[in-house]
Amino acid sequence: MMRRNPDYASEALSSEDVVSRLRARLENVAVERRERFGGRENSVQYVDLWIRPERSQFLRVVDELFAIDFPHFHVISGDDVGENILLNYHFSLFRVAARGGRVGVSVCVLVPKSDLKIPSLYDRIPGIEYSEREMREMLGVEFEGLPMKGFIFLPEDWDENVKPWRRDEEGLSPDMIRDLS
Amino acid sequence: MSAKTYTVPIGPVHVGLKEPITAWLDLDGERIVGARVRPGAIHRGIERMGQERNPIQVIYLAERICGICSFSHITAFLRAVEDAAQIRVPARAQYIRSLVLELERVHSHILWAGVACYSIGFDSAFQLGMLMRERVMDVLETYTGNRVNYGVGTVGGVRWDITPEVDTVVRDMIRYYRNEFSAFYDIVTQDPVAKARMRNVGVLSYEDAIRHCALGPTARASGVRCDLRWSAPYEAYGDLDVKPVVPQDYVGEARGDVFDRFLVRVLEVYQSLDIMEKVLDGLPEGDIVFEKSVVKVLSLLKKAEGTGWGIIEAPRGDDSHVVHLTSGNENLTWWKVRAPTYANAVSWPIMFIGNDLADAPLIINSIDPCISCMERMLVTDAGSGNEQILTREQLLNMSREKTRRMMPA
Repeated sequence: MMRRNPDYASEALSSEDVVSRLRARLENVAVERRERFGGRENSVQYVDLWIRPERSQFLRVVDELFAIDFPHFHVISGDDVGENILLNYHFSLFRVAARGGRVGVSVCVLVPKSDLKIPSLYDRIPGIEYSEREMREMLGVEFEGLPMKGFIFLPEDWDENVKPWRRDEEGLSPDMIRDLS
Repeated sequence: MSAKTYTVPIGPVHVGLKEPITAWLDLDGERIVGARVRPGAIHRGIERMGQERNPIQVIYLAERICGICSFSHITAFLRAVEDAAQIRVPARAQYIRSLVLELERVHSHILWAGVACYSIGFDSAFQLGMLMRERVMDVLETYTGNRVNYGVGTVGGVRWDITPEVDTVVRDMIRYYRNEFSAFYDIVTQDPVAKARMRNVGVLSYEDAIRHCALGPTARASGVRCDLRWSAPYEAYGDLDVKPVVPQDYVGEARGDVFDRFLVRVLEVYQSLDIMEKVLDGLPEGDIVFEKSVVKVLSLLKKAEGTGWGIIEAPRGDDSHVVHLTSGNENLTWWKVRAPTYANAVSWPIMFIGNDLADAPLIINSIDPCISCMERMLVTDAGSGNEQILTREQLLNMSREKTRRMMPA
């Protein structure tokens, strides 16, 4: 699929249109629309979407977002959820298009611990570098195609087999945690 | 690149900030030809600490992420918790949150403008900035009792109301800044030396700002018309007409250099004063919190299940907090914080290339981390193996000397 030039859409689609478009093109992908309220009348001010594709559909979802607007990347959040690592990619569409036009998009992907890999988005969005490196060192996810493999936040002498945010045997052992009094 | 280059590490960093950075600059003579950045020198594991605390306790932890934009962080955090637990905030509390956010923006931008002037040797403007910043800190102290971590936000609202006395001191402050802040406005409109030091220095193009996900004044200075107060109005901004401040609307073009970053921040101070006045004029009557009993709030939060995302326009750019609450667990299941410098620092290597070493302090400062993050630097002559330690003072002196060379005799 042809890559979108690094420019933002100048006109926003409504969040309903974005949902319809994603649902039409991405069969079997759950899309949740969440309204955010504010102001004196506590009315809808903007909308966040939560998309939950399978890992195999992840790049298709990202490509569909690119076809709508250059997705401004915020951060990856995540957790160790048993057999899987959960990664939530947080984006904005229509960042510059209109007052109240921004649509927040969180793409939530489960990556099995038995095959802890996901394609890197670094070649599409260079600004994602720190976040992918952070998730690599904190949760042990391998981002395929990410050229920088060094620690970004952990100390240089950290044991790279220890992943601080993991809840299993690869995480911190009790003797590594200093409880505050 | 010539055969003889120098590698200059800048760091380690100041312990008081969320965004400590070390940069290695490759030099050809005085010219920067390459740059690498390594953050995380004092990563405190604050997100993991949050997993052992309930949301009310985490407010006071989140406040300590940053000394300058402490309220921005807790507002983003609270909005994430309120999103996960589906809590609506009363209108009066939303207005008060917006007021404190703007007070913080004025504080941050004035501090930044003063320090930027200091780094180019404009000491009188630096002293003036430090003097002016006291006024907004006094106002924050009058309202909250504190000058840095205000302890004013809580889940579903705020803890203190705006009294007539607070209203008066805020309006007095607005009048003061409208009269006195013009000194900084004059710097960006009239001072030829300041312009010479900042124009075409540390350039970040519009395209690079997008690709590298630049935020806030850094992105706006590159011409990106982004501002969450406009594109995704939160709190009281839904009732206020806030437009992104971009250089092309004022001087016809955006060059994305340090000068434009200065211009954007100066204009945003005036914008914040207007916003604060509108907030006070339109402050709705009513409750300041959705539930006064903290015990009831904690009980409700313990039953909540879900992931929430809070995102606001902090002084340095958009600040994201994401939390997950699990029903039956009173503590946060997990919490992710993305402070603005986390994103803006990715653009630093691009800004450095082609500039002089003497411009490095100004470029580092231009995205608004703390200039005092630079404790010392080590210069290595790769060709001869010579090493030379440059202190922060020496580095600053190089920057100031460059300004002096531009001054008329």
